[in-house]
Amino acid sequence: MSHRHDRLALLPEQVTLPPGHPWRRLGPIGAAVGAVGIVASAALGTSDPERFFFSWLVSFLFFWSLALGAFYFVLIHWAMQGGWGVVVRRIAEHVMATIPVLALLFVPVLFGMERLYPWAVPGAAAKDHLLHWKEPFLNVPFFVGRAAIYFACWSVLAWVWTRGSLSLDATGSRATAARLKRFSGPGVIVLALTQTFAAFDWIMSLEPHWYSTIFGVYVFAGSLVSGVALIALLAVLLERAGPLSDVFGAEHRHDLGKLLFAFTVFWAYIAFCQFFLIWYANIPEETVWYKVRLEGSWKAVSVLLVLGHFVVPFFYFMGRTVKRKATALAAGAVWMLLMHFLDIRWLVLPALHGAGAGFSVLDATTFLAIGGCFAGVVGWRMRRCALVPLRDPRLPESLSYESA
Amino acid sequence: MPPLGHDLPEGPTFGVLAEFATPGELFRACERVRDAGYTLWDAHTPFPVHGLDRAMGMKRSVLPWIVLAMGLTGAAAGFALQTWVHSLGYPLVISGKPFFSWPAYVPVTFELGVLFGALGAVFGMLALNQLPMHYHPLFHSARFEKVTDDSFFVSIEVRDPRFDATATRRLLEDLGARHVEMVKS
Amino acid sequence: MASIQDKALYDPVDGRPTLILGAPDFHAVTEAVARPIEQKTPAGWWFFFLPSVALLGLLGVAVAWLFWEGIGIWGLNVPVGWAWDITNFVFWVGIGHAGTLISAILFLFRQKWRTSINRAAEAMTIFAVMCALIFPGIHVGRVWVAYWMFPLPNQMGMWPNFRSPLLWDVFAVSIYGTVSVLFWYVGLIPDLATFRDRAKTRLRRLAYGIFAMGWRGSNRHWQHYEVAYLILAGLATPLVLSVHSIVSMDFAVSQLPGWHTTIFPPYFVAGAIFSGFAMVVTLMVICRHAFRMEHIITIRHFDYMAKIMLVTGTMVGYAYAIEFFIAWYSGNPYELFAFQNRAFGPYAWAYWTMITCNVVSPQIFWFERARKSIPLLFLLSIVINIGMWFERFVIIVSSLHRDFLPSAWSYFRPTVWDVSCLLGSFGLFFTMFCLFVRFVPMVATAEVKAILPQADPHHEVRPERAGTAAGTAPAGEGAY
Repeated sequence: MSHRHDRLALLPEQVTLPPGHPWRRLGPIGAAVGAVGIVASAALGTSDPERFFFSWLVSFLFFWSLALGAFYFVLIHWAMQGGWGVVVRRIAEHVMATIPVLALLFVPVLFGMERLYPWAVPGAAAKDHLLHWKEPFLNVPFFVGRAAIYFACWSVLAWVWTRGSLSLDATGSRATAARLKRFSGPGVIVLALTQTFAAFDWIMSLEPHWYSTIFGVYVFAGSLVSGVALIALLAVLLERAGPLSDVFGAEHRHDLGKLLFAFTVFWAYIAFCQFFLIWYANIPEETVWYKVRLEGSWKAVSVLLVLGHFVVPFFYFMGRTVKRKATALAAGAVWMLLMHFLDIRWLVLPALHGAGAGFSVLDATTFLAIGGCFAGVVGWRMRRCALVPLRDPRLPESLSYESA
Repeated sequence: MPPLGHDLPEGPTFGVLAEFATPGELFRACERVRDAGYTLWDAHTPFPVHGLDRAMGMKRSVLPWIVLAMGLTGAAAGFALQTWVHSLGYPLVISGKPFFSWPAYVPVTFELGVLFGALGAVFGMLALNQLPMHYHPLFHSARFEKVTDDSFFVSIEVRDPRFDATATRRLLEDLGARHVEMVKS
Repeated sequence: MASIQDKALYDPVDGRPTLILGAPDFHAVTEAVARPIEQKTPAGWWFFFLPSVALLGLLGVAVAWLFWEGIGIWGLNVPVGWAWDITNFVFWVGIGHAGTLISAILFLFRQKWRTSINRAAEAMTIFAVMCALIFPGIHVGRVWVAYWMFPLPNQMGMWPNFRSPLLWDVFAVSIYGTVSVLFWYVGLIPDLATFRDRAKTRLRRLAYGIFAMGWRGSNRHWQHYEVAYLILAGLATPLVLSVHSIVSMDFAVSQLPGWHTTIFPPYFVAGAIFSGFAMVVTLMVICRHAFRMEHIITIRHFDYMAKIMLVTGTMVGYAYAIEFFIAWYSGNPYELFAFQNRAFGPYAWAYWTMITCNVVSPQIFWFERARKSIPLLFLLSIVINIGMWFERFVIIVSSLHRDFLPSAWSYFRPTVWDVSCLLGSFGLFFTMFCLFVRFVPMVATAEVKAILPQADPHHEVRPERAGTAAGTAPAGEGAY
């Protein structure tokens, strides 16, 4: 039986972007778009710095949650020794590899702390007894230090799993695969704790009087939905573009669709739990957060989220045919990404007093800025290596997979 | 789909029953029987064999639609009940909530939707399978007792338009059946 | 047997592990599962059954005395209006969830190893829900008007309060019980047909035959059956999540510090699965040995169960940590006091028991040898259930006994009747479980057959492999 381990299930040429392929330009184009976005945002930001920082934070959090969602996909896939997902795992690895660049893109947030976070304003703690109480945690040095720790953890973990996967391409070493599996469990725990506290720091403390123990889980649920949606979208696009057409098919689409369905329901469950318990107990220090989001222009957004992020996708992804067809799945994935972006805005922007739910040009420029850099990294990595983990031990199983 | 109610032939013979040793043999036999154009036939196995539905040329089950309809009915009924009770039946201000406190109606709505859906699944399945049907001609066959243990069978009814006493028997024997018999009604 | 066990423990790199050992054929599986039911009652069965029935009797006495004399026979007082009664309720509902997880959620994840244990786990769920439903039923005080909980038209024009989580519980847990019974029964139909066809006595043939509904293995039936099974699994999964979420809402919708916290629903669900799997482990260790089914319920199954306990235990630990952090972060002095009181107040002994049993002890399951050691698994499964009982006790009583008004502060002590009700509920549970293993196939025979390598119609029998564990890569290729 040992000969089976030496034989490659696929030839590298089948699953690499050939020279001259349009997707090879994703890297440079992304970087260019990013650069333009950064310049435009900076220019517009000088006249409305508050909006600049909020828009930047929204866009940053959107792409950050995509990266973490992909990260969970990869780690949980290793931990559960999943078979079917091997074919798309490399795509997820490319997405999670954007984390070090996201660390750099986080820096503007640090410069905008005083405008974003009420507790970061000098002298705020002296005037507000709650901010005074939270000062040991909510203070600038500790906040910055924590952010450094989060990004350090994520960068190290991402490096281990992406490098490990690439080395498997070359060697097919069972020891490497075993190591990647063994540490994936602790990896998920580190990821969960750091993401929870990042959510507390970066999002929850925008309104520092408010708190919710499920908040970390809520952000986690959103990143799962959006991460899988992005992976599904990229996989379908790459299948259409050629490189993945031999390996990615209806069976894999079906399972990605099932995951999207399940994670959408999970998100809705967590979102409802948080809303419902706060609504029911009706304690003002908690309800204030929802009050803003259920009045004025934000009310429409809330309704849209319920319908668009839950009700419509629930029925859409329920059927068998939709999950299997490439265009239908891709359309659903794009929709979920849009809804997730709306979710992030709904979490963050109400803290900007008097802003309302309307869009501003800065929303677009900051999205291009961060999204461009994100796409640049993903595109650059796609050029460099095979789009499928070539010697992964479970690749043959993934290739011949049949969804129930 | 045959109408509900026991739909069994009236003559002295029910059909032919062929026994196979392995799921693989049964699978290939079913493909051939399907391709030969038989319609009133069935395969019998101790457990569901993967892919056999397609090998027999069967259409997809309508059960999911039954369940969806039942589930939505249950949810709607639950929501309507609660709305009526608290807004019309006996409106009371409880813990400061408005009469139409829809978030509080979600748990029972959801549970009733699941209950009705589950009832739809179980009783829908039994109805589509025309079960319980404690009597069936195939139980006359002694060898058929092994169907729930480790044997695999194909049965073709006499009422099938392509049924021919000798040709059908020979077809099944050629397909590798280890035992073929005629079953009485 | 031992060498086959060892060989099968290695996970071949590109294959899948052998789940059923000794390469049985279909008939051998039927025989193995039928043996406990068709043989004479073994002495060991009476050893478990009789004490269980005795405890069940104790439950009957305790409940009868409760109805006669009133809730005052328990240790409840003001402000501790709920203690062992609701702790036991949540405890039993939680245990039930593992059965549905194994049946439904593992089915959706296509985890074939579930087929060895899902029948027994589903039965465990049904019996656990029966035990659970007792407690809200008997704790109401005026049991004779318990029908007021249901929306039955009446001359007073009164209706139940649908805005109350206590009523959602009524619906949730009873629907959970109903759907569990339906799911369990649907799974049983093909196996009952097996026993009908094997029955040697007319009584057995009649009994199994009636409930087998005339099942004859028709593939046209299997098609609808498989769809129904998948749908039931798809319905049972959100049902499980919702039921324990609703149970958690009994506490979370209140305004009490320590109770009102948004993470309760997923935290309770994770805890339920945690304790439920522990109970499955306890039961399976005994059953597989008693009925000589070590080749069907293998070490590998325990390995997977231990991993699930590790995952859910970690989620519970995460929830503890976040609750503690937010209690401080919130700046709410009552919330902070509630948590300090748990750790250092009069119930600190219960709190630290809970932490030791739930957070510390499962960490040993990071080690493969621990996951595959039967004595350790058995011991730890009991420790975890003790811990999870204490978790509910700590949550309920620690928040209640320190009321907002210090003059109402009190301390709860259980009475002999509290203890009797808890022990008696175990009596009900084990009585039902003993009856189950005696008369009903405790392994889902048809499902186990379906995962054997030779069940695949495209499986080729390779003659040179006839002696090894069928269908997998040979052992010794290295673990991965």
